[in-house]
Amino acid sequence: MSNVTLYSVSYLLSDTVLRAIGSVLPRPLSAWITNADLITGIAVLVFGALLLAASMLNTIVLIWWERKLLGRFMDRRGAMHVGYAGLLQNFADGFKLFRKTTVQPRDADSLGFYTGPTAYMVTSMILFGILPISSGWNSGVLPLSLLLALAVFSFAPLFIFVSAWSSNNKYSLMGGMRSAAQMIAYEVPLLLAVVAVVIVAGSFDLTTIVYEQQNYWFWGPLVVALVVFFAGMLAEMERIPFDLPEAEAELVEGWNTEYGGMLFAFFMLADYLRALVGSILVVLLFLGGWTLPTWVPAALTSFPLAGIVWFMVKTYIVFGVFVWIRASLPRVRTDQLLRVGWNRMIPLSLLSVFLAALLVTVKCLPVFGCVPSLGV
Amino acid sequence: MASEVTAKEKPGEHPVLWVARPMATAARQFAKSLFRPSTIVYPYERLENPEFRDRLEVASGKPFGVGQVWDNYRGVHALNIATCISCNLCAFSCPDVCIEMVSVPGGDPKHPKKCPQIDYGKCSYCGFCSDACPEGCLTMTTRYELSTPKRSEMIYSPEKLHEIFRSKLPMNPIRLARPENEDAILLDPPLCIGCNACSRDCPTQCITMLDIPKPEAKPGEKLPRRIWKEPVVNDSDCVRCGTCISVCPKECLFWGTRK
Repeated sequence: MSNVTLYSVSYLLSDTVLRAIGSVLPRPLSAWITNADLITGIAVLVFGALLLAASMLNTIVLIWWERKLLGRFMDRRGAMHVGYAGLLQNFADGFKLFRKTTVQPRDADSLGFYTGPTAYMVTSMILFGILPISSGWNSGVLPLSLLLALAVFSFAPLFIFVSAWSSNNKYSLMGGMRSAAQMIAYEVPLLLAVVAVVIVAGSFDLTTIVYEQQNYWFWGPLVVALVVFFAGMLAEMERIPFDLPEAEAELVEGWNTEYGGMLFAFFMLADYLRALVGSILVVLLFLGGWTLPTWVPAALTSFPLAGIVWFMVKTYIVFGVFVWIRASLPRVRTDQLLRVGWNRMIPLSLLSVFLAALLVTVKCLPVFGCVPSLGV
Repeated sequence: MASEVTAKEKPGEHPVLWVARPMATAARQFAKSLFRPSTIVYPYERLENPEFRDRLEVASGKPFGVGQVWDNYRGVHALNIATCISCNLCAFSCPDVCIEMVSVPGGDPKHPKKCPQIDYGKCSYCGFCSDACPEGCLTMTTRYELSTPKRSEMIYSPEKLHEIFRSKLPMNPIRLARPENEDAILLDPPLCIGCNACSRDCPTQCITMLDIPKPEAKPGEKLPRRIWKEPVVNDSDCVRCGTCISVCPKECLFWGTRK
């Protein structure tokens, strides 16, 4: 891997710009502006801005990717007019939403009505500061980054319920209740599946988990955990077939019925941010993150930013599988959803924890590692 | 909760198949439309393009030649001004009253040539005008793109229709099967004053004014003030447009069956 890291890029940017400004300013000011502490401080801000811009850009491209894929699944073309192959369509949509008035229902609770979507969006964006994207492309060493990511990820039902409750609409309230019930029901198997990964990797640090998969990716030994994690992610992301909280056929638009304009755009963006985070987590935990199997020719893994490229390719493919499921399956009923969650997913996740513990105890994991040509 | 399994699943089928089967179907569809979804991207592609020949055959239910459309497609009209005889039959037959006869350059300055101008805002594309046209100069083409930001541009002048004629689009002269027209123009001789209006306005010049003998006036009787001529209609040339009946000042011409 190259030595370019997110921090070095932002430091370079801040250093170049501040020194350029300092070279044209008079003496005392130029000394102050090229001060090393200031450059470092600005570099941290640039770091955050880069992360934010990258996550937003990826989210919007992800919406485009879903629209195109879903189009092919439905034997049509997706967005195709604005920009190349419709790439700019979502920017146009976002701009339209940005220009629209935010209409607040008369009896809505202003505080919850406005803070709900904002907090939902903000907590979803915080996740991008936690997840490592490639070696060196993370915001520092977090020994419990997986735990932190999942904790932040599970804030969502609270804010969804707050915004649903405060919009003073029965459909919103029902959608919010369903959302809370569903997210809490699927949090348990999701975390248990993660426990299986943690047992095998021996760490809560996502970077360590990725490097533990140098020899074999975890989906091989932990295929049960992968299935549970995938289903749990589907429910957490509220995507078809688990999109009961939105259920536009029954609940108008679910918990965001009363939201329009930019607040709706917040929900939309946050949904796709969470979908992106879900795909990234699947890639990090089960598909080897930014690494490739050892039998892949070196030319494919040694070019600059190869880690990020492969990471994004994997993420988009995983999200493609989410879209595939959306294109195939109908929406389940509430009772089916909860029954599958409590009666099937939790036993399966416990089984996966047991299997992981067994694999670690009897030390048969190297079996997967000693056949590198399989590349699992 | 007893009857939990929904009705759609086959009995005894493993629940994994409930997920796997639709996903396989979706994957098959995805593979099929990966490079070419069935959508015809209309402004850029058209159904009548040769590459969609097979689809047109399915749509029309019959074998389909390249560059052709359905036999009976009724689109925008094409008008051949040169052969138009200004008989007005198209305007008469139009159920939507969207055809107006307007003057076109050329022809006798005293009696300007009139050709149909069609308002496509009203037209229902029934094809009656094309059916009625005795000379076959008003036909319907396969052209169907009419959208315009201005309502006034929906009115197509005879010149514009002639442009469409000259563009050599596939044309469908509408000829509905109909019984031979038995009607003929008959004359009520005592009323006729021999004014020549019918002969003058006949688009096919099938009316000739023939001299009739001027009767001798009996004593005390006053002969009518008239020209001693009478119209004779050549039935084989007559297109039954009725112009003569409408221009006759004395209403002495009428429809009837010739004995």
